Amino acid sequence: MSGRRPVVYSDTTAPLRERTREALADDALAANLRAAGASWGAARTRISAENPFAEMRARAREIRRGDIGDLPELLARLEERVTAAGGVVTRAADADAACRYITDLAAARGATLVAKSKSMATEEIKLNEAIEESGLRVVETDLGEWILQLAGQHPSHIVAPAVHLNKEQVRQVLMAESGWELPTDREALVAHARTRLREVFASADIGISGVNFGVAETGTICVVENEGNARLVTALPRIHVAVMGMERVVRDWDEAAHILQILPMAAIGDDAAGYVNLITGPRAPGEADGPEELHLVILDGGRSALLGTDLEEALDCIRCGACLYSCPMWRSVGGQAYGSPYSGPIGSVLTPLLEGMEGERSSELPFMSSLCGSCHDACPVGIPLHDLLVRVRARVTTTAHRRDRARFRLWSRAWSNPAAYRLSVAMARIGLRLAGRRGWARRLPGPGAEWTSQRDLPTRWPPTPPR
Amino acid sequence: MAPDTAALSEGLLAALARRRATGAVVDAAGAAAAAAARAAEWGVERALLADDPVLGDLGVGGRLAGDGCEVLVWPDGRGRGWRELLGLEGPELTMGVTVPRLGVAERGTLVLETGPGHGRSIDVVSMYHLAVLPASRLRATLAEALVETYARDGRAPSAVSLVSAPSRTSDIEKISTLGAHGAKGLHVLVVEDR
Repeated sequence: MSGRRPVVYSDTTAPLRERTREALADDALAANLRAAGASWGAARTRISAENPFAEMRARAREIRRGDIGDLPELLARLEERVTAAGGVVTRAADADAACRYITDLAAARGATLVAKSKSMATEEIKLNEAIEESGLRVVETDLGEWILQLAGQHPSHIVAPAVHLNKEQVRQVLMAESGWELPTDREALVAHARTRLREVFASADIGISGVNFGVAETGTICVVENEGNARLVTALPRIHVAVMGMERVVRDWDEAAHILQILPMAAIGDDAAGYVNLITGPRAPGEADGPEELHLVILDGGRSALLGTDLEEALDCIRCGACLYSCPMWRSVGGQAYGSPYSGPIGSVLTPLLEGMEGERSSELPFMSSLCGSCHDACPVGIPLHDLLVRVRARVTTTAHRRDRARFRLWSRAWSNPAAYRLSVAMARIGLRLAGRRGWARRLPGPGAEWTSQRDLPTRWPPTPPR
Repeated sequence: MAPDTAALSEGLLAALARRRATGAVVDAAGAAAAAAARAAEWGVERALLADDPVLGDLGVGGRLAGDGCEVLVWPDGRGRGWRELLGLEGPELTMGVTVPRLGVAERGTLVLETGPGHGRSIDVVSMYHLAVLPASRLRATLAEALVETYARDGRAPSAVSLVSAPSRTSDIEKISTLGAHGAKGLHVLVVEDR
């Protein structure tokens, strides 16, 4: 194993360029990402061959477009049915409101230990930090999330959060937690985690889960998983709090059945998830397990502002993570370098939209793409992510980007005029001849410096073959 | 077994097998023996059974007890407390025995419906999961099964669990490893109707 710790960033530290440069220099990370990408690619190829994937994808897109089109109505129905089933629904305008609702609830019930199953929405609102600040203990129970919590890291992938770590790195983290000597054996590490986390399931007062989607027809929330921890989190503790992004609603069980099948195909290359937990209200009279209280927190957090805009399709996302694996950028630097809970193409679209265009992350992430379109190809609900990336780019208003835009406008105007075009080309030719040697410019001054810091520029056409 | 039922059970078992679950079609007279054989193979010391007439009719509990396995029945078994049911205290090699409300042939899924006699945690607190599915409960597609499960008057069941594999995780190096939090092994007995 490489002795290097993987690159980890809290949200606001080094600039993106520095983070990506460091990630690119991390050989262990590169190997882990390569293995993960290859394994996903192989599974995806197999699943597409065995299933009518293209047809299923068209249907999934139709479903999601329709659901988002009727979102206010479907949300109202979901809220009404969850309430009728005995659940408590709250709408949270932003991260603070959502966190405050949950910490207030925990305080009111005298809770001390919170067990969590994997949830991107709670990453988004930084719920763990809020719970810890209020003096409670919170434990992630998805194996990957637990490893990251112990290591003090953030997820690098929506579905496979610890995909940037290898088993030796995982072993070190788990040994540090328990103080036990553990073998470098995957099965033994998993069995160890099982035992440690059973202690948490046995005594947690509150279980917090995400929601893959809510079914408006019956007020049922769906939690999809493979480990069984989400079931334990939603079945054993006295209180279950489910946190759902407001766009995650489907109309009825026919739609739900379709999304439930295409989601694991896209996410893990299997035609079914191991477990799907369908929860309608708290435990019914006479039942001996299940929570006594069910709270559903519906998070807006910037989502409603996208409805009816040319960026609305970002809300169709079912959080499968396929666009991450397919993206040449993500496969090169991993999710950590993005510095946002949502990485990859969908992360580069969502982060600025949910957090606002100000700030380094929002202004840089949309440009972290070659616009090759492989994300659109991989997306099970057919979101045109490359188009959305371009639209989000157009919204960036930092000084640097405004200056870039002005420069391109000037260039465009110049080249619309034949005389100016010919003059500029002649000048460029002379300039390049002067700057170049043996047909190649290796270092240009001024605005050309950025280009030559990455690659050489031929000074005549066709270029002389490089030596 | 009717030919269409045979095709459905074959579909279910084949899909589950791809996810490393096991299963067999048995007749009603042989179901209890098949359950006991599976328990012996897993080395099960204690079984937690759903309180379902199907298990009583087939004599599953009696046969397991006769083989020296401790038998708990839901909801009384819940009285043991979570530490014991989770295997933190007492025997670690435990088995949850469920009776799915439906089975789905296409892509292989069991539909477990919770109720007073059928705890939602029976299969995941246990080390192994044995599901006993009457063949008449097989359906072709997931959409069909879910629409049927929820298309009743009045309240929807408070919890329905779709189970399609043993508990597994790919969180370490993306290689699937069994027994993450739920059952490490899943065995399905499709029981032909008498």
